[in-house]
Amino acid sequence: MMRRTLLRLSGAALAVLPALPAAAEMPAPFDAPGEVKIALVRYLSTGDFFQSYLAGVEAQSEALGLDLRVLDSRQDAALQADMVDQAIALGVDGIIIQHGLTESMKEAAQRAVEAGIEVVAFDVDVENDAIPQIEQSDYLLGKLALDQAMADHGDAFTAGYVYVPGIAPLDRRDVAWKEVKEANPGITEAAQFGTLDNPIANSVANQARSVLQANPTIEVMFAPYDEFAKGVKIAVDEAGLSQDIDIYSADISTADIAAMREPDSAWVATVATNPAVVGEVSVRTLAMMLAGEEVEASVVVPPTLITQSLLNEEDIKNIEELGAKMPQFRHADVSMTDWMPLPPR
Amino acid sequence: MSSDRILNFAIRFGFLILLAGLVLYFSVFANGFASPRSAVFILQSVAITGILALGVTCTLVVDGFDLSIGSVATSALMLSAYAMVVLELSAGMAILMCLLMGAGVGLVNGLLIVKFKVPDLLATLGMMFLLIGLQRIPTQGNSIATGMALPDGSTAEGSFSPAFLWFGRERLDLVLENLLPVPVVVFLVIAVAIWVFLDFTRHGRLMYAIGSNQKAAALVGAPVSRNKIAAYMISGVMASIGGILLAARLGRGDIASGTNLLLDSVAAALIGFAVLGAARPNAFGTAIGALFVGILLQGLTMMNAPYYTQDFVKGAVLVIALVFTFYLSSRRGAGAG
Repeated sequence: MMRRTLLRLSGAALAVLPALPAAAEMPAPFDAPGEVKIALVRYLSTGDFFQSYLAGVEAQSEALGLDLRVLDSRQDAALQADMVDQAIALGVDGIIIQHGLTESMKEAAQRAVEAGIEVVAFDVDVENDAIPQIEQSDYLLGKLALDQAMADHGDAFTAGYVYVPGIAPLDRRDVAWKEVKEANPGITEAAQFGTLDNPIANSVANQARSVLQANPTIEVMFAPYDEFAKGVKIAVDEAGLSQDIDIYSADISTADIAAMREPDSAWVATVATNPAVVGEVSVRTLAMMLAGEEVEASVVVPPTLITQSLLNEEDIKNIEELGAKMPQFRHADVSMTDWMPLPPR
Repeated sequence: MSSDRILNFAIRFGFLILLAGLVLYFSVFANGFASPRSAVFILQSVAITGILALGVTCTLVVDGFDLSIGSVATSALMLSAYAMVVLELSAGMAILMCLLMGAGVGLVNGLLIVKFKVPDLLATLGMMFLLIGLQRIPTQGNSIATGMALPDGSTAEGSFSPAFLWFGRERLDLVLENLLPVPVVVFLVIAVAIWVFLDFTRHGRLMYAIGSNQKAAALVGAPVSRNKIAAYMISGVMASIGGILLAARLGRGDIASGTNLLLDSVAAALIGFAVLGAARPNAFGTAIGALFVGILLQGLTMMNAPYYTQDFVKGAVLVIALVFTFYLSSRRGAGAG
């Protein structure tokens, strides 16, 4: 642990250097680069999403000349709370709490606020008025995907739905599905399935094969998580139904883009927020608070609809090209000020 | 006398009868269950865990245990993806590297247990954690796919070769067109091979002897250490084959700990103890055990049962199987004596 912190420290110190020239125009406390310390206290860190989120946090911190420390509790709720205290002891100026449990983080977050530290929280509600919530709107992710499904299939179709209850982002996406079903009696849910047994795509593929066999009338699969969609796509391909079924999902990665662009791919649309952008917005919101500016209680990073036809037309092969061809995916105009430096694009 | 015979019959055939009953039940109540295509995809859903389970069976035979198989499989998944996508090697090279990696891990496990006297559970537990971390180091925790950004700023140009994907996706013609997936064929071939090896070769019988009484086996001059190491190497190779098939099916290198693969395959091997009243690890039982779990899960999914009931059912089957093995078999032993 000690060694890792030291490594991160030296990494952060190096990262600060290139940002020197921009610092002159920035308000206090950012006019002295390397003086402002912030900590990212993580609950979840394994997987592409979290890796990309971290990259966004690092890039924006570098642009602002912040000294970033990363404390990673690896899904240990108690340790995460301890790490907030550790950050307080380190004398940081700001803390980003990334995921976690309300019950374990509420008091720790309050202690940080009492210590005069500015705090923002990403995707965890710490029930504190002084702490703004950064969110990627999971509800909108689900809603936009379903709007696209209805644009393609009208308001009457038979659907299969992949869902595992009890996972906060999936629960919020589920709200959109319930609403759409309620509002459109023509939409029937023939089957609901889902599992988080890993490798998730493989386990979901096994389930989806059974579901497709048992329900040959399914024409739409709503799989609002990219691992689910990937699994459903494998099953659809194996059943030879890629012409007959359309998959709508949420989230995106380079591998997902490749899967969506395969010839005759059943995966026609996904809705995603760029996790790196969410990371950048988290840091920018914290920076605005440190500069003494007003911040909304809830900062929502809007999602983008990405369709298979768009990927094909623009010949987009990976996340970087997606960002280049779709500016709204690369940068969200959220928590922006005149003086805010952006990471190099 | 007759109650003894009923008991014997129950122990020998109880599990197979249960299996037949299950198939009958689902055929009647689950829409679309009774068809050759269903049969094939049930086999496909158990092929990978089945192969891993056959590996575990070999370590169980020598009275050992291999907790690292799940992570060996996911390491093979990552390694094959890394070899083809980042290093741009051929399918053959990727497969060879995975098999060598599996054998290497098995060798290290075996040496830790035999030479350094580390208890089997602890040695393979350590190996499990080591591999979960190791497989993520080359890509800094990212999944591997064509077009991904590399640490040096370039993008990965390689891709999964069609020859490699063939192993996970090709379906051979058997009676119906495009019926039999290659992973199922691999699973069946391996099941037969391991069964023949364990039950009909000198090496296999030696392994059983070592498993039931290591000291006695050593005293009559059996090369205990070498056979134990061999068992772990077989287990590692089987796990890497499972990982290769997984990679070929997914078509990308997914970050995964493999814990579920481990649990499912161990469950299959333990259920296998009960088949035909063997009351010991055996390849035939393991294959049937894997199939049993697969039929249950696919049938339940077809009937729209939620995922938590599936875990519950898996657990219930395992408990029943263990009762068959340990309680009924011991009573039979007592009755015969």
